[in-house]
Amino acid sequence: MATVEYQRIGKSFGAVTIMRDISFRIEDHEFVVLLGPSGCGKTTLLRMTAGLEAVSQGDLMIGGKRVNDVHPRDRSIAMVFQNYALYPTMKVYDNIAFSLEVAKVPPAEIKSRVEWAAATLNLTPYLGRYPKELSGGQRQRVAMGRAMVREAEVFLFDEPLSNLDAKLRAHMRTEIRQLHNRLKTTTIYVTHDQIEAMTMADKIVVMRAGKIEQIGSPDDVYDRPASKYVADFIGSSSINFLPGTVVVDNGGPAVDTTTGRVSVEPSPALKPGHKVVLGLRPTDVVVDAGGPLAAKAILTERLGHDAQLFCEGPEGSFVAVVDKAARFSEGAEVRFAIPPSKVHVFDAETEIRI
Amino acid sequence: MSIAQVKRIAISDSPWPWLLPLIALLAVFTIYPFIYNVWLSFHEFVPKSRGLKFVGFANWVQLWNDGRFWGALGVTFLYFAVALTIEIILGMAIALLLDAELPGFAMLRAVLSMTLVIPPAIAGMMFLLMEDSQFGALSYLLGLVGLLDKATPMLATSSLALIGVLIAEIWQWTPFMVLIFMAGLRSLPAEPYEAAMIDGASSLQMFRRLTLPMMSRVIAVAVLLRGIDLFRVFDYVFVMTSGGPGTATYTVSLYAWQQTFSFLKWGYGATLSLTSLVIVMVMANIFIRVAKVRW
Ligand SMILES: Nc1ncnc2c1ncn2[C@@H]1O[C@H](COP(=O)(O)OP(=O)(O)OP(=O)(O)O)[C@@H](O)[C@H]1O
Ligand SMILES: [Mg+2]
Repeated sequence: MATVEYQRIGKSFGAVTIMRDISFRIEDHEFVVLLGPSGCGKTTLLRMTAGLEAVSQGDLMIGGKRVNDVHPRDRSIAMVFQNYALYPTMKVYDNIAFSLEVAKVPPAEIKSRVEWAAATLNLTPYLGRYPKELSGGQRQRVAMGRAMVREAEVFLFDEPLSNLDAKLRAHMRTEIRQLHNRLKTTTIYVTHDQIEAMTMADKIVVMRAGKIEQIGSPDDVYDRPASKYVADFIGSSSINFLPGTVVVDNGGPAVDTTTGRVSVEPSPALKPGHKVVLGLRPTDVVVDAGGPLAAKAILTERLGHDAQLFCEGPEGSFVAVVDKAARFSEGAEVRFAIPPSKVHVFDAETEIRI
Repeated sequence: MSIAQVKRIAISDSPWPWLLPLIALLAVFTIYPFIYNVWLSFHEFVPKSRGLKFVGFANWVQLWNDGRFWGALGVTFLYFAVALTIEIILGMAIALLLDAELPGFAMLRAVLSMTLVIPPAIAGMMFLLMEDSQFGALSYLLGLVGLLDKATPMLATSSLALIGVLIAEIWQWTPFMVLIFMAGLRSLPAEPYEAAMIDGASSLQMFRRLTLPMMSRVIAVAVLLRGIDLFRVFDYVFVMTSGGPGTATYTVSLYAWQQTFSFLKWGYGATLSLTSLVIVMVMANIFIRVAKVRW
């Protein structure tokens, strides 16, 4: 088991620099989720950690040792590739068993570990098949199984559940968490999926175009997004942004927006006249006839347990999560309120949290 | 035919307009000669009457009892097996070496195809000279490293003549294998190797568990192409030894050629070549069946 530390890591492909100055530390036993949009460099960072891609700048430390020039086979890592990278000429059983055979694990032990992995992943009926005879989701589970049977110091997972259906994904989420609770292997897990990040991570690293935007616990990242970008990226329904100006209202700070005046929590950085952008999560705004915000209802979309109300405000669309029993006629004005503690305030210029 | 008619034929659903030319070519150049060959094997040329005479199964009976045929078949098999084995192993080894992206290797890869543009008969002549015991460079070199006694004429010694011919064969055709294998290696996916590195596999393990199985189709094609060609070996033995000394390098093709064109035994020559055709077809089919790749 090991710590992983990135010290001012940079990556260039020829003349193109896609990553610079990545620095963070992953503690022993920690489960870290890398979150970020497509193309921000998540796979590249994992591949550098695995040793499949050279580190252009900086030092990569695993277990306290600099491993920039250590061969992948000597790094004691297991990896689930985004594109699976299964062995096409081996049956599922051998795909999973390969690393154990190479490590000269006794055959009986190999058999029991492969069968355990196959059972956990619902792959038992497919052990005798070749990868090309499997569906995408089944292949992905084989890739997962290949990592699970390993006794590695670090697990690297590159979107390992992206091709599974919702139910299987939920099942696998708990399986992976349980596996981690049992093995306590340091894990770096890449995903696009909010829920995966929120439910599985000890620590979330939000990336943006080759840089780190925020590092924190799931609650930190959700409750105190460091920037407008993070606020936009995290949260299952996309956040409402309202630009405005800081004013003083009843002795406390508030922000005047075209949609209405919103009270915010006091902060020394908030001076009257300051241009800011407010972030209001749809789940935090409540329908309130006496509320300060006003928008015209357009349509309601039922989500199962509740509903999303889409409105048209002066700043464009405004979304709120509402009780699914509530009915709003199209074009009617709806008023909303939000507690000051739930309002995220960002500097209009730098887009950084105030 | 008017343009409209041509157009109608070209877009019709019938396969015949497209198949007919090919069928015609096949019929004239393959099927007819084959049937004629079968027919010929039941006849024999009679020089006195300058005509063919029906002899029934006489040619086939003769073949069965012909020690020289069985000897030639043995030589052919030996030649085939040794050449194929060495060309595959050497070809694979060189292909693996040349697959690296090192400076200068692109030129080496280009140079490889050069042996293939030399006509085999000419290559045979070159080696005939190089293996000469008086002034041959190859004989001299082999003598220097102690592999060959300086006074021994390689191609005129029964125990060495086949080796002498095989050297020319292997020199000329190993690059062919290298080219096929290199094309195969270049088309292999990189991901399984990355996964294998992470799984801790050594280069040898990767070669055995990934490269060889992934290359099996390519290897099968190479074996088939080269194997069929090897079985009808003619040029090198004809030019270098004419089958000698004695019958040490007599192959089936050479024997059939001799019977047909030197002794004018057309029927027996046809029987011999038909037999080697049947052997090649049977072997090729067994091979295709055995080598069937499932992954
Ligand atoms: N071999 C390469 N040569 C040049 N550019 C590359 C190479 N590999 C990746 N890139 C670039 O690096 C950036 C990051 O790629 P990467 O695959 O790490 O993204 P990602 O965050 O994993 O995206 P996704 O979520 O879509 O998988 C992309 O802009 C990509 O175009
Ligand atoms: Mg990726």
